[in-house]
Amino acid sequence: MTAVNVEHQAPAVPYRFGPFAWFFNPYVQIGIGAILVAISELFLKKGASAAPQWGNIPAGLGGMAALASGWTWAGILFYILSFVSWIYVLRFVPLTVAFALINLVHVLVPIGAWLVLGEQIPIRRWIGIVLILSGIIMVVGPVAKAEEKL
Amino acid sequence: MKLALILLCILCQFFLVGGQLLLKKAMSPSAATILHSRRTRFFVGGIGCLTIWFFLWLGVLQQIDLSTAFPFEGLNPALLALGAWLVLKEKLTLTSWCGIAMITIGIVVVSGS
Repeated sequence: MTAVNVEHQAPAVPYRFGPFAWFFNPYVQIGIGAILVAISELFLKKGASAAPQWGNIPAGLGGMAALASGWTWAGILFYILSFVSWIYVLRFVPLTVAFALINLVHVLVPIGAWLVLGEQIPIRRWIGIVLILSGIIMVVGPVAKAEEKL
Repeated sequence: MKLALILLCILCQFFLVGGQLLLKKAMSPSAATILHSRRTRFFVGGIGCLTIWFFLWLGVLQQIDLSTAFPFEGLNPALLALGAWLVLKEKLTLTSWCGIAMITIGIVVVSGS
């Protein structure tokens, strides 16, 4: 038994054949979406760090100051792209499975911050990353087996 | 941390999960076959919930450190699984529930470190 929505059959995925068929595979799209979110988080962090300090103004306005940085806008753009991808995924994949997979972001962001921003990953964080990955595999594993045809 | 802030953190997660459930309802094929307006309503409701979540969460982040607020994100997978089970009638196996518990613990450990 797998985590399949009992209300209805999932609709057929478009473009199941041809050179770009892989791109329309919802599971590939979840991966692309997770990478887009991770990139957007890194850009937003860069934008927020680049924001000018305006003395003792309220923190909310301080956040708006981040809009002065091009990095912030790049972050927003990538976030919108990830949303489009997510909406596509929701058409085909049970929410439980999609949401478990999108938790890859919690793994990609620390690793991205380590590789790109040079932030350190303490051993405890590595343990958390392994826990998240194991959890994802436990949720998604049975479904992946059932949907190998995809 | 004040009790009100803790409750606000939890409320944020409810809006996020509620938004996701509404979006899924809007995109699911069963909704596609029914009235177009109802589908739109789910979609707008979902975006609305996510917008409320975004600004509430920003408000929370202004009050407390990111590392303090972030473990609350661990609630998401658990809340979402409950919501999908109750509202969307998605079936979850024992393995799935265990996996969700591990993701939750993992997020708390990652954000707490």
